[in-house]
Amino acid sequence: MKKILTLMSVIGAVSSFAGLSVSASAATPADTLVMAWNIDSITTFDPAQVNEVVTNEILLNLCDTLVDYDPEDESKIIPRFAESWDVSDDRRTLTFHLRKGAKFPSGNPVTAEDAAWSLQRIVKLKLANALSLSEFGFVPETIDQTIKATDENTLVLKLDKPYPSTLILQAIGAYRTSGVLDRKTVLENEVAGDMGNKYLTTHTECVGPYRLARWNAGEAVLLEANQNYWGSAPKLKRVLIRHVAETGTQRLLVAQGDVDVARDLTPQDMADLEKSGKVELSIVPTPQMLYWNINNRDAPLSNDKVRLAFRYLVDYDGLAKTVMHLIGSPRASLVQLGAVGALDLKEGQPFKLDLDKAKALLAEAGYENGFSTTLAIGSHPYSAAIAQSLQQNASKVGISIKIESMANAQLFSRVRSREYETVLQPWLANVPDAYGMVSRFIVNPDNRSEAKLGNLPSWRSSYYSPEMNKRAEDALFEPDDQKRIEMYHSIQRDQLQNGPHAFLFQLNAVSGLNAVLKNWTQNGLRAYYDKASK
Amino acid sequence: MIDNEKYVSGWSAWINAPIPDTPLQARIQLLWESLRRFAANGSALFGLAILCILISMATFAPLIVPHDIFDQDLAKQLQAPSSNNLFGTDELGRDIFSRMIFGSRITLYIIALTAIIVGPVGLLVGTVAGYFGGWVDAVLMRIVDIFLAFPSLILALAFVAALGPGIDNAIIAISLASWPPIARLARAETLTIRQSDYINAIRLIGADPLRIILRHVMPMCLPSVVVRLTLNMAAIVLTAAGLGFLGLGAQPPSPEWGSMLASGRQFILTSWWIAAAPGVAILLTSLSFNLLGDGLRDMLDPKHG
Amino acid sequence: MTTRRSPRTANSRYRRYLRRALTTALSIALTLLGLAALTFLIGRLLPLDPVVAILGDGASEEAYQAMFEKLGLDQPLYIQFFRYLRDLANLDLGNSLTTGRPVLEEIARVFPATIELATVAIVFGAGLGTPLGVVSAMYRNSIVDNVVRVTSLLGYSAPHFWLGLMGLSIFYAMLNWVDGPGRIDVTYEFLLPENGTGFLLIDTALAGDWAAFGNVVSHIFLPAVILGFGAMAYISRMTRSFMIEQLSQEYITTARAKGLSRVRTVWFHAFRNVGVQVVTVIALSYAFLLEGAVLTETVFAWPCFGRFLTNSLLAGDMSSVVGCTLIVGIIFISLNLICDLLYLVLDPRTR
Repeated sequence: MKKILTLMSVIGAVSSFAGLSVSASAATPADTLVMAWNIDSITTFDPAQVNEVVTNEILLNLCDTLVDYDPEDESKIIPRFAESWDVSDDRRTLTFHLRKGAKFPSGNPVTAEDAAWSLQRIVKLKLANALSLSEFGFVPETIDQTIKATDENTLVLKLDKPYPSTLILQAIGAYRTSGVLDRKTVLENEVAGDMGNKYLTTHTECVGPYRLARWNAGEAVLLEANQNYWGSAPKLKRVLIRHVAETGTQRLLVAQGDVDVARDLTPQDMADLEKSGKVELSIVPTPQMLYWNINNRDAPLSNDKVRLAFRYLVDYDGLAKTVMHLIGSPRASLVQLGAVGALDLKEGQPFKLDLDKAKALLAEAGYENGFSTTLAIGSHPYSAAIAQSLQQNASKVGISIKIESMANAQLFSRVRSREYETVLQPWLANVPDAYGMVSRFIVNPDNRSEAKLGNLPSWRSSYYSPEMNKRAEDALFEPDDQKRIEMYHSIQRDQLQNGPHAFLFQLNAVSGLNAVLKNWTQNGLRAYYDKASK
Repeated sequence: MIDNEKYVSGWSAWINAPIPDTPLQARIQLLWESLRRFAANGSALFGLAILCILISMATFAPLIVPHDIFDQDLAKQLQAPSSNNLFGTDELGRDIFSRMIFGSRITLYIIALTAIIVGPVGLLVGTVAGYFGGWVDAVLMRIVDIFLAFPSLILALAFVAALGPGIDNAIIAISLASWPPIARLARAETLTIRQSDYINAIRLIGADPLRIILRHVMPMCLPSVVVRLTLNMAAIVLTAAGLGFLGLGAQPPSPEWGSMLASGRQFILTSWWIAAAPGVAILLTSLSFNLLGDGLRDMLDPKHG
Repeated sequence: MTTRRSPRTANSRYRRYLRRALTTALSIALTLLGLAALTFLIGRLLPLDPVVAILGDGASEEAYQAMFEKLGLDQPLYIQFFRYLRDLANLDLGNSLTTGRPVLEEIARVFPATIELATVAIVFGAGLGTPLGVVSAMYRNSIVDNVVRVTSLLGYSAPHFWLGLMGLSIFYAMLNWVDGPGRIDVTYEFLLPENGTGFLLIDTALAGDWAAFGNVVSHIFLPAVILGFGAMAYISRMTRSFMIEQLSQEYITTARAKGLSRVRTVWFHAFRNVGVQVVTVIALSYAFLLEGAVLTETVFAWPCFGRFLTNSLLAGDMSSVVGCTLIVGIIFISLNLICDLLYLVLDPRTR
């Protein structure tokens, strides 16, 4: 008996301690922006290599690009580190006039030499972002001539062909690759001639409102305002991005005020939070497309009609109202809404769930008895639901789909080496211009397996159409803007019927904002940390 | 004074006879005693009852489910429990109650197969190592130690990643991670009895080692191994759920409890029933194995019970 | 006439002990080697591409090839293993494939959090579990026994992340009794010393910052309780089992017959005899907790070893996985060694 009483008192003490716990007020510091985000995908901060959504945004807040998109209007380009720019009449020379007197965080002065070197190293390192420059003719052999600093504050880019200058401004000027790096400091920390690749994995040395103070993988990213920034200083001098993998936890944190912004929320969480009134939602469409990646190499998927049938298996409306509610809108055209040359909302999504049509198409293609195939999915929360919906509808027309879920890393490996049948995955378009998606998903210079263009989605899906290659090239160089847009429209219309993939949704960026945060600025392309305040 | 008048006739007389006439009768009497001890243990009976319910659910699944388990209806997603859907609907509008029932089949399949693999393998390795000693013991125990020292989740993950996701590969992976404790237990038991007199006697008679192990040592280890195995089942249910949770067990749309839990994860705060049903099912299954194991231990080894 | 130990007997006993020590050392080395080999093999055979893990998805074929050769992946397997062993001998666990920082550094960063959480959890688990197990054994098959067993089993059998989220939504969101996910509030995080021990409880106590200390306590409370619950169930059940075995022995009846009180008999005699076994069980539970409770850590956003290991595996960062596995392996082997030694010393039957 005595034992029991002792026991009870122990339990009692423990629980009362919980009530007595010194709980600090659940609030965040007034000078720090605290964000909850799943940042597991960060692997490096080197602009030559960064190739995913999270690091892209953080990097854009750390390193000033030459030009930028207007936060209010994504179609406008405004100066950022470059004060002004000129385009030659033949559209082949682009001259940027950089700001004078700016300094790096290390204190070194910023010159056009740094800007040129930053771009040159991207091409020379041949990592993920080299393509964004090499596709415009910047190759390692000639890069030192084609991207040059002609004086302290002038950067000159010589293009090999007369590309549309707006496109170049978007694809290079406003892209993360044009962040100006502190050449001196980076080279001081170079390892075996890697031009700072290893050092820049965990450091940033560029001119921008914030610098990377700390990155603890799987834990947090800490940004601190730069002292000698040329532009207006950010109102919140620190940004702490906490890694929170569970969406439920993120929701609890933002509702309680322990974080100011939650970046990953489910549709149900969002509906509840809105009702509670404690948290405001910011929802903007992004250039990220969720698509059903179909490998066009083998039958039956190589058959156009089969792939068209697939597009009728997608319950766009049903999914849009439920699984993808608030986090995406249906879109079957490969070019994202909001891009130059994109089909409008209606034309860009002519499909709906139609099992009879799908059946008829399959019969025309010679597969009235159906066939079996696989669908690999990664770890996005909506993937499993969408995959099962597709599987269910497919089974009703005789196609049996086996779902394989795996870690994202494994998924990338398989897609890269063309060892898959179908995959559900997202893709972030690099520019708000139809060229972005067309150049990646349609244009394929060489479909042979020896070419090993593992970084090109068109090659990965074995899609090769010389006719489309030509049409894309013509559209690229068409000087008349209206005609150019028309050409892209016609490409998209044809793609809707014969394209390699079934595009499903255009994804939104959703942020839950705690009431204490003001001036949260976010457009489809990124969030502007330096504009937020409390 | 033995009161012979009480035990007059029939079954009662036979089973309660103070002096058995044949070895068979003696053995059956012992078994009866054990069963009576077991029946006296309330919690063990409770565990057994749950297990029986589980098994009958799995067996009669097609007959009792009210809805098709793959039937999606997006318009009816995330509905709370109602008379039509006892446990509500999930994010694709499927009936959770029906999926739960079929999920019990998968769970039992995993448990049964794992037990069949892990039991004999662990027992064999452990008894051989314990009986022979010397370098045989050293080598076998090193192998056991290596597997034991390897984080079980990583081992399971690695094997599933290497072999491909799916239920059978998950079973192999879990078995690989679960057999070392059984082997260690069998070895420990073997060590304590290997020097005992009756083993020595049999050895003197000239029986060969394998026969000794199979017919004499193993049966002695069997009770504790069975108990340990039953208790392990509880952990295996959770591991399988964990693997399913990480997406590496049974693939969608299979109604495996772990993956149901995983998909219900994002809705816990809004539609709690999606994760509640499989969660409680896993809990009850695990609990019942634990209670059953405890009861078995009490029954088979009076010293412990 | 006094008997004197002949030098020969004394020597041979020392020699026996020495030989035993040597064989133990050898077997440990072999186990570690086997562990390294197994991990290495798994790493090379997994369909996760380490080059893609480092370079990312969009690297060109040239960059891919260059990194492939740099990592030595083009060499035959046994040469790779040999190089790997050579690095191990230099205590070089290599660099994490994702961050490029040394694996040892990354582990050193996450381990203190793990140790802190596991320690608090085991204090809770063992602190409650052991007395509960003894009580359970004393009042075997009574209401008390059944209630204790079923309650602790409930915590043991429930999916952790479910408990975690439920706990958070009730005690954090609704009642505000404890603080939420993470180890410490952001407000205090920046005030922490840069090069602290990594153990927030110790750091804040040493700095005398009791508000921060309280904050850390209220953050660690819920995850530690949830993890500890599972440990408590296991420990209490094992303790119960050991105690039942002891209490059925004859010396207990003798002691009671002699007039010793129940409490004294149980605690000072029976419990002391099972002390070693209970310690072994607690140590084993502690090791399991150290290995990481991935799901609890995910829910509570605790930057811990288990998550680090799982994420590394899922990202294909085999260097980290191998490094972590070796460390876990060493912990387990050390614990097993201690267990074996204790049994050897105390149970003559196993000699």
